[in-house]
Amino acid sequence: MVEAEAKLKALMLAGLGGDEAAHRQLLTEISTHLRAYFRFRLQAYPEDAEDLVQETLIAIHTKRHTYDPAYPVTAWIYAIARYRMIDLYRRRKRRGVQIPIDDVEGLFANADDAAADAKRDVAHLLKHLPEKQRAAITLVKLEGLSVHDAAQRLNLSESDIKISIHRGMKKLSLLITEEAA
Amino acid sequence: MRTDDLINALARETEPQSRLQLPGAALRALAAGLAVGVALVVIFLNIRPDIGVALPVVLAKAGFSGLASAAAIPLLLQLSRPGRAPGWRIAGLIGFFVLAFLIAAVGLLGEAPGDRMSAWTGGKFPWCVATIPVLAAPAGGFLFWLMRDLAPTQLGLTGASLGAAAGGIGAMSYAMYCPMDSQAFVATWYGVAIGLCAAVGALVGTRFMRW
Repeated sequence: MVEAEAKLKALMLAGLGGDEAAHRQLLTEISTHLRAYFRFRLQAYPEDAEDLVQETLIAIHTKRHTYDPAYPVTAWIYAIARYRMIDLYRRRKRRGVQIPIDDVEGLFANADDAAADAKRDVAHLLKHLPEKQRAAITLVKLEGLSVHDAAQRLNLSESDIKISIHRGMKKLSLLITEEAA
Repeated sequence: MRTDDLINALARETEPQSRLQLPGAALRALAAGLAVGVALVVIFLNIRPDIGVALPVVLAKAGFSGLASAAAIPLLLQLSRPGRAPGWRIAGLIGFFVLAFLIAAVGLLGEAPGDRMSAWTGGKFPWCVATIPVLAAPAGGFLFWLMRDLAPTQLGLTGASLGAAAGGIGAMSYAMYCPMDSQAFVATWYGVAIGLCAAVGALVGTRFMRW
């Protein structure tokens, strides 16, 4: 926690002074904390977690002039992350979701590039899928293309892509449970 | 968009950021709000005709009103940036309302028992409760404009402190017109009007201060 504060503060101050590399590193470091935090808090809505990571990064970037160096940067980041999470649930009007009562340490306790690791595991499992399913999942789920774009790229119909993803994901989840067992 | 791409896109626009000068900006917003508020009084209500003789009491009423803004602004500025605990600043704002209550109580005790009711209510509906929020609106608008560039995360409390700060300015403007000089009347109904402004601010804040 103390280390995170010292490291992030140095990056933040350099970024505020116009240092592009420091600012990029700051956002990258923060994104790993945010990802671990949101994934754990939003287990019921995993698709929201990465959206929130991105929304929070944008908020941190566009509101960075509101940071006062006399105060801890970790508390500033945490307040924005928490605000974005509450705001997301307000917008989606999701009831019964518990907004966590934790503090800034909860956000910086876990820092890892979980995203990269997860992707590597999936890439390994993807080899067990038929070519069409593997291609559809790689383009849409891993590279973030729309179904429409993936269909054009693979020269298939959109419904074909959707079915391939559906079947492939089903098989993947089977493979993951087998591997875990 | 992938998160890595987003980070790269954001990092490409890193022009240096200048430090905020918030107290100055807030004072300018309040001064502009006061100017518009007094102009509204001049146009629609008229300055009280005996302002020359009554100047000390007008200044006392305006000073009392200004205390509300002075108590609310530190809280508002603290809440306008993420991750800053309000701390003693909440007590400052509550302190204003406690002070208003005490001033009203002392004022009432100083009146003869038979005169207390008329000293407290002024004998008719206290219109300042409705007028002060209207006169506070310009100051509220300027402060709201200032907040748009900032990042409040506790919208209800931020809106309430904004409303109280603007309400103090509205009451200062109203004091230029207000013919009621009873200490109990002013402390009670100005206090209620400023509290009403804080409540409106909290409602508006939670709905329209989101970013």
